[in-house]
Amino acid sequence: MPLVRSDPTPFIASPAGATDLETLYRTHAPTVARWVARLAGPLVDVDDLVHEIFLVVRRRLPEFRGDAKVTTWLYRITERVAREGRRKDRFRRWFSRARHLEIQRTMTAPHLTPVDEFERRQASEMVYRILDRLPGKYRNVLILYELEELSGEEIATLTGLKPATVWVHLHRARARFIAEMKRDSGRST
Amino acid sequence: MKEPIARGRQSEADERAPIRHRWTTQPPGDTDEALAGALLRSAKVVQPFGTKNLAEVAARLRTRERRLPTKWAWQIAIAVGLLLFCGAVSAAVMHFLRVASVGPALSDTPVSMPTSGQVRRRHRVVAPPPDPAIAQVPEAPPVPGSTEEESESLPVKASPELPAAPLANPSALAQESRLLAGAIHKLRQERNPGQALAMLDQHRARFGAKGALEPEAEVTRIEALLRLGRHDQALGLLDAQVLTPAGVGREMLVARAELRAEKGRCGAALNDFNLLLATEASPDLVTERVLYGRATCRAQQGDWAGARSDLEHYLARFPKGRFADQARAAIGK
Repeated sequence: MPLVRSDPTPFIASPAGATDLETLYRTHAPTVARWVARLAGPLVDVDDLVHEIFLVVRRRLPEFRGDAKVTTWLYRITERVAREGRRKDRFRRWFSRARHLEIQRTMTAPHLTPVDEFERRQASEMVYRILDRLPGKYRNVLILYELEELSGEEIATLTGLKPATVWVHLHRARARFIAEMKRDSGRST
Repeated sequence: MKEPIARGRQSEADERAPIRHRWTTQPPGDTDEALAGALLRSAKVVQPFGTKNLAEVAARLRTRERRLPTKWAWQIAIAVGLLLFCGAVSAAVMHFLRVASVGPALSDTPVSMPTSGQVRRRHRVVAPPPDPAIAQVPEAPPVPGSTEEESESLPVKASPELPAAPLANPSALAQESRLLAGAIHKLRQERNPGQALAMLDQHRARFGAKGALEPEAEVTRIEALLRLGRHDQALGLLDAQVLTPAGVGREMLVARAELRAEKGRCGAALNDFNLLLATEASPDLVTERVLYGRATCRAQQGDWAGARSDLEHYLARFPKGRFADQARAAIGK
């Protein structure tokens, strides 16, 4: 079933077959978007990054031989694009504070009162500030475990790490997170 | 040594142990884990990627092109524009300041000195018989600006003796500066003192004596008048100035002295020349002109010994100076 019925042209053209890619997009785009939002933080444009990711998918699909699970493959692309997105965003934030505020507005949850929303926003910013100080391998494992609520085994499958390595990373990530959190709260008092 | 290794292995084994409880599911409390959990829960909310977003990204993918980051393109364009604008403004300011402060020295060509004959004709004064030691009072060099190669410029810089005008508002200052820069360009680059003077008249009409750049405008006006050969007017302006022999004042003093000498006002000219020579300065074009100019004036006034002394002094300091030949001829060397 084409994504956009009114348009007869396949939206993703690839030697591997347009239908497969369409299916891939339709099936995985929401998950990819969630990963992006989690990994890249609240200050990036999720739509832009999802677009970037599926551009990479379209380019790389012919090389994908099915050695890894599709989700693992997609996660690896997402991780790289999200990392790049964060790097670009740091530059953008340095350039303009306006965008920062604009994206914050889009994060507003309608069911919260303005005060709740403000506090949530502050806390969310603090989380990502702390996470950004963690090494990438610890940061992502912690995000997948605590925010994405994946099990150790699921994280291992997704990241291609051994389950034992996932736990080591998670233990270390937690220790670093608490240390950084204390440092942050010490600085703010 | 065994104990730390064993402890290390134990720690590694602890780290490999699966974690059973997520921080985000912990009940609120004061422990570090509970606080971290509360913090992380706040970051769990993400905007859902709904059907609208799906369709939008799909549409972008269909175009097979990256979407232009419109907002950023605009911001970057504005930033680049601002950078270019700032660069242009600072370049213009630097150029103006360079022209103003390091501009060519005031006419290293002196104003023509009157010969003894000219002075006698003008004032119908019977001069004392010339000292046989001085065969002839040196002929004056051409008036500045009378020939293209020799036309030099007055440095445009607020001299300390000129009263500082109150600072106008920035836009007025910008307009004033544009007008003055235009006049300097006409004068120096296009070598068109007439148009420069017209622009300076506009400046005067618009800003009057209260203009923040009025002192600079006055110096430019004097230079333009000199180039146009309107020495009387230039001298009129210079006479109105209280000058000190420092910086631009030195250049203006020598120009005034030469103009005064040219008009036969050798007494007043000598005051300026003496003031200049009384001030310690390294030998330069101004000193050269001052020595030669004073010698001329002294000769006009019949002070032959003084004139001779100045010319000898001149030759000692500037043996290859531009008036060296005239000086040698005058003292018969």
